Amino acid sequence: MSATRLVATGLTLLWLAGCDTERDDAAPGEPAGFAGLGEEAGDFAQAHEGITLRFPEDHAAHPDYRIEWWYLTANLEDDSGEPLGLQWTLFRQAITSPEERPAPTPWAADQLWMAHMAVSRGETHRVAERFARSHSADELDDRDGQAGARAQPFRAWIDHWQLASHIETSDETTGEATEADTFAELELTAHQDDEHGGFGYALTLTAEGPLVLHGLEGFSQKSADGQGSMSSGSMYYSQPFWRVEGEVALDGESRTVSGRGWLDREWSSQLLGAEQRGWDWFSLHLESGHKLMAFQLRGGGADGGDYRSGTWIAPDGEPTALAPDEIDMTPLETRRVAGRDVPTHWRLAIPRAGLDLSIEAPHAERWMDTSVPYWEGEVVARDADSGENRGVGYLEMTGY
Amino acid sequence: MFTTLITLLSHYKRHPGQLAMLLLGLWVASALWSGVQAINASARDSYARAEALFTTGLDRLERRDGQPLTRDDYLRLRRAGLPVSPLLEGTLEAPDGTRLTVIGIEPFTLPGDNAFATAGSTSELAAFLTPPWQTRVAPDTLPALGIADRQAPGDEPRLTDERRLPPLVLAPSLPPDTLVMDIAAASMLLDSGETLSRLVTASNALDEAPPGLVLTRATTLASPGQLTESFHLNLTAMALLALVVGLFIVQAALGLALEQRLTMLRTLRALGVSGRRLVGLLALELLLLGIIGALAGIVSGVWLARLLLPDVAATLGSLYGAGVTAELSLPWHYWVGGVAVTLGGLFLAGAGVLWRAARLSVLGLGQAQAWRAGFRRQLTYMTLAGALVASIGLALWAWLAGQPPGEGLLAGFGLMAALLLASALWLPPLLAALLAGLERLVRRRPLAQWALADLQLQLPRLSLAMMALLIALSANLGVSSMVGGFRLTFLDWLEQRLVADLYLRPPAEQFEEIETWLGERREVAERLPTRRTEATLYEVERNGSTRGLALPTNLYGITPGDALMPSWPLLDTLAGRDAAWQAFRDGEAFINEQLAIGEGLAPGDRLTLGAPQGREQVTVVAVYPDYGNTQGEVLFATAQLASRFGAPPGSIGIVLAPGADEAALGQALTRRFGLGSDSLVDQREVKRIATGIFERTFTITRALSALTLGVAALALLASLLAQARERRRQLAPLWALGVPRSQLVRIQLSQLGAAALVTGALAIPLGIVLALGLVAVINVAAFGWRLPLFLFPGEIALTLATAVAVALLATALPAITLWRTPPRALLAEEANT
Repeated sequence: MSATRLVATGLTLLWLAGCDTERDDAAPGEPAGFAGLGEEAGDFAQAHEGITLRFPEDHAAHPDYRIEWWYLTANLEDDSGEPLGLQWTLFRQAITSPEERPAPTPWAADQLWMAHMAVSRGETHRVAERFARSHSADELDDRDGQAGARAQPFRAWIDHWQLASHIETSDETTGEATEADTFAELELTAHQDDEHGGFGYALTLTAEGPLVLHGLEGFSQKSADGQGSMSSGSMYYSQPFWRVEGEVALDGESRTVSGRGWLDREWSSQLLGAEQRGWDWFSLHLESGHKLMAFQLRGGGADGGDYRSGTWIAPDGEPTALAPDEIDMTPLETRRVAGRDVPTHWRLAIPRAGLDLSIEAPHAERWMDTSVPYWEGEVVARDADSGENRGVGYLEMTGY
Repeated sequence: MFTTLITLLSHYKRHPGQLAMLLLGLWVASALWSGVQAINASARDSYARAEALFTTGLDRLERRDGQPLTRDDYLRLRRAGLPVSPLLEGTLEAPDGTRLTVIGIEPFTLPGDNAFATAGSTSELAAFLTPPWQTRVAPDTLPALGIADRQAPGDEPRLTDERRLPPLVLAPSLPPDTLVMDIAAASMLLDSGETLSRLVTASNALDEAPPGLVLTRATTLASPGQLTESFHLNLTAMALLALVVGLFIVQAALGLALEQRLTMLRTLRALGVSGRRLVGLLALELLLLGIIGALAGIVSGVWLARLLLPDVAATLGSLYGAGVTAELSLPWHYWVGGVAVTLGGLFLAGAGVLWRAARLSVLGLGQAQAWRAGFRRQLTYMTLAGALVASIGLALWAWLAGQPPGEGLLAGFGLMAALLLASALWLPPLLAALLAGLERLVRRRPLAQWALADLQLQLPRLSLAMMALLIALSANLGVSSMVGGFRLTFLDWLEQRLVADLYLRPPAEQFEEIETWLGERREVAERLPTRRTEATLYEVERNGSTRGLALPTNLYGITPGDALMPSWPLLDTLAGRDAAWQAFRDGEAFINEQLAIGEGLAPGDRLTLGAPQGREQVTVVAVYPDYGNTQGEVLFATAQLASRFGAPPGSIGIVLAPGADEAALGQALTRRFGLGSDSLVDQREVKRIATGIFERTFTITRALSALTLGVAALALLASLLAQARERRRQLAPLWALGVPRSQLVRIQLSQLGAAALVTGALAIPLGIVLALGLVAVINVAAFGWRLPLFLFPGEIALTLATAVAVALLATALPAITLWRTPPRALLAEEANT
């Protein structure tokens, strides 16, 4: 599901492609991988097996890595039971390596930020995009830039769009710092004016389960040759257990909503192999209380095939990493969206978990017409044989 | 057919003077025209680039108190969800002294697609944003930086203070002398720290200004193209005048060439060349000549434009704040247009010749007297045509009289053109009538009678040159009266306006402190603080009826003290000067002449202006002249402007006590407050700058008018030289009858001297009327100010003298030849006829 974020972050990589001299595995002038996400790590810190994730520190930005995101999707319903989807993503992109960082003079920047927000309901799909710059020294100066992400209390923002904890970190009576987990309860606020009357949301997110580390204790491999420090991969954890409540405004109309949300956190300096051109990424809330994350990177698998990976998450948050051959993913039907053929109906089978799902987007019009365009929308999962409802989730597809 | 063409052209081999004159006329006409068009085309290109710049079309936010905005202000507004973008603007000096505008942008928040277009394609954005950053610059700015086009990309030119610009990237769509870079790079170059020049936002993205800030809508900022329209119209009118004068020469030369080839044409017809083919060949001849003349003209025009453009650019910059490149940039249609206009003009001038050639009678004889009869008819046509043009002029005048003042610039020029053309058309009939009358007076004196009759015979050929001379003389006189009169008025006005000895522009945050400090100094007799702001003029109430407007207007605050009040010029008051100043102190307003003319306002009218605390109503108690400004302005007492409109502090005028040491005060100020050397300016400097701007404004006008006069003189000279040989043949019989050569020379000199004198004498009233039109119609429409008409007897005498001198010079050359020709040769020429 973090795929979308890849896309967007990729935008900045695309910009960088023009000046990156270290790249040697792609045709000249052509960014490596989708949207440049296959760039080699170079002087940047690199995600690798064996890194221990630490919280709350790792909720904040990692400016020494090239790319990073805070990626939230939610499957909601309004009072009348009408389904409603939303996405809010903050992408970070380092525009210089840690060694080449400019002095923190006024306005100088080494980090670019991009954010996407989307609200969808029926055929309606509203999208907005924002950009900002910051200097990684801002945090040391304890100054807030136009965009950023802090760990304690947790806060990730760009302009007036923000995902922030409302848990106090100091005791009101004594003023002493408390050890509260500020990530357990967040407020998401964002609003965008447009010609339809504007859209946005003010939501409360309450964690009903633990954080989930993907791959090997949080290191998520992204291609078959991923061994050692040169491999492509990322640090990747999720909070898939959000209970979401609040208000969503769409075309000037406000609705009270509730539902389930999924937050992905991922950072890396070389996410994709140079030959990988896109991906299909699922995040599902199943009726059984299980969660499923599964993706395929098209190209870059063993023998040039697709590379698959995923995590099967028990209702108590216990993750089981899925190996490439444990996931079966087949597009069943494509739809014409924004002039492209996009597979909006899939068959996803995880024999190990006894799952055989038919996953379909009820509405195909979920194209994100942003700087780097991609498809991101709500899906409904049904049993492939019986057609019984199994759950809801989000699907992200890039490179189409 | 080729043979026929060669035969036709062989005429010019025998008369190279005529060919030279023809080409000269074409060359000069097309050179002046294309020169001015080159200037206009380059200026338009600059305007188009300026308008395409991202900053135009964006609303601006600035702090109400005049302090600079900071990065924190920007972040605060962004966090509140306002779509603002920071902009840093400043100037740097290039090694050659050119002032370069540095614009620092934040491409992520800059509204509109053009942000990325300005920063380059998205793939170059990283290079734009990160060290060593990039400087985007138009190729025509490179000479100022001292580098050639080829080596420009990637070069890091040095500035005067030894600092280097970020590596250059060429962006031809940027306006001249503008450097665009990332705000981080700009902030380092300009040393501006955390401060900003302003915040910008997409047009109408905000309904109102956030607290403490002033919102200026993009729509209230007039585009340079609109502002300078009248200036370019002026230039075009001058160029058109030059073109017309040049075409007069062309027509004279063509007429002469046809005249002398009549016999040849008849022979050709008799040999079987059809009339149609003859006309076709003559047209081909015109085409050849036209192309040669036009090409030569365009080349010289470009050269002329290159010469004049720096002045034009400086004028447009200082008068309208419009940046114009000093480098020519000419689109393809300029070249095609230049050739087309010259050719069009040539065929217009040659139409008569072709017409006559087409109607050529094969058997007719080329008799001078017969020709004269034809000329009589022509005179009648001229009189009628003159009357027609004059009535068009009258109609225009009547229409203009009904228009509000300040309107109808084009009609004004039309009126001037009609006036000139009618006068020019009436000149030959007038000269003919004058000669006929004189002839009757001198019946008893055969030689004088011969001289007059002979002049009548010359008139057909001379008349065109004389018409050109009349136009050029009167235009020159009109323009020089206007410029001279304006100069007097302007200098006078400058004297009245600049009453302080020193002008100080303190930083906004030090304003109060400095003003207090100045008040305690013995050297300072009076302080005259000023303020400036903008407001919307919503309503005008006149004689009880109210008219709604939404006019963005400049507000200016002055200090009505002992120094200023007696000298500040007023054009019109409600109840006398004293009452006006009293009301002004009490909070009423003065308006400048531009606003009064533009909106039809007069003392006694009431204005409703937008103010921070709602709307403010004031009564206009006086109108003041405001030369050097092109926009409307409402004047208040500084204190009123500060309290009612929240205007930020501006400059302080310092009136020194008698005998005070100016230099010591300046040093004390600089030491005490650490002010830069450029924040204190003395009055002489201000006057020097203002006069400089003024002089530059009219450099072009004067240069073009002098060039036009030169062209007319050439026209006269050329037509006289061209017929010199023929003239000698007519003089020979007189000599044979016993008239001495010295007397023949005298007769010739007096013939033409008198004709020129009459033309010059006619040019004087015409020039005066023209000057009147310029100050009362053209200037009011173009600049918004009306000037008193000044006449300069010296200029008039000079004009007259020029006319006569040109005529005498033109006569002298053939006369000297005549003087030197042995009588035998004269007789031989006569015999050969």
